[in-house]
Amino acid sequence: MSRSHASHKKFNCADVEKLAQRYIDNQLDEEEKRLFDEHLEYCLPCDKKIQFEFKLKEIVKSKAREPLSNNYSSEKIKSFLENLH
Amino acid sequence: MSKNKHTLFSELVKPHLTSLFSTALRMTHHKGDAEDLVQDTLFKAYRALDQFQENTNFRAWIFRIMVNTFITGYRKAVKQPQKISYDDMEEFFLFKRLDENKELQETSKEEFLDTFFDDDIKEALENLPYQFRLVVLLCDVEGFSYNEIASVIDAPLGTVMSRLYRGRKLLQRNLWAYAKTRGYITDVTVARQS
Repeated sequence: MSRSHASHKKFNCADVEKLAQRYIDNQLDEEEKRLFDEHLEYCLPCDKKIQFEFKLKEIVKSKAREPLSNNYSSEKIKSFLENLH
Repeated sequence: MSKNKHTLFSELVKPHLTSLFSTALRMTHHKGDAEDLVQDTLFKAYRALDQFQENTNFRAWIFRIMVNTFITGYRKAVKQPQKISYDDMEEFFLFKRLDENKELQETSKEEFLDTFFDDDIKEALENLPYQFRLVVLLCDVEGFSYNEIASVIDAPLGTVMSRLYRGRKLLQRNLWAYAKTRGYITDVTVARQS
């Protein structure tokens, strides 16, 4: 628990695998994130996997979204909103 | 007074209409049901606006109303997927399958993801059990934090994380199945012996 002990800690591939989801979602605390980044700097296989997960998340975000502009649903919902009372 | 309430509500809700509709559509699979779900949500939220505390998270608040509305009124109408096996829930599932594939040895795994069409991604999501689909949508598509999702679905943080984990793995498994059956990968030979 001492500062010197903490500063010597390093993440291995198993740690990275375990914390990957929280890293991708930016939910690690500062120290965990630092150790995670440090591992990625020298571990190319882990770095590739993490970059892949980021890309997949980005693709899900961009392709799963349904635009609501100038279409029937948009007009219907906006008209409903205007008439709420 | 009534006009003020209406104006306030419109201002609060308008920036989130696309997010609400998009999530509703992925949850109900049907445009008409999604429109109804958003309208029911707006109606309930408007009626309950007095309970919303100003300067708190309106987006999480109204999503919570929509999730409750979906669960109580729409879920039964939604076709439930067949029983799902939770085997093969390993981390980096899709990356590992692509990585061990002979045909993709020289291709960037990230570039391969561009092969998928919008409909592949939507179908892969819509085939997830609704509890998992919901957290994946809230996190990946809508960008909610784990704490916000816990509040929206009224579940502990650990439940959010495990559903997200399972949901993403199932999503990857669906995409891997599509890659094989839809011809994005023609040679499914495993390249390396493990």
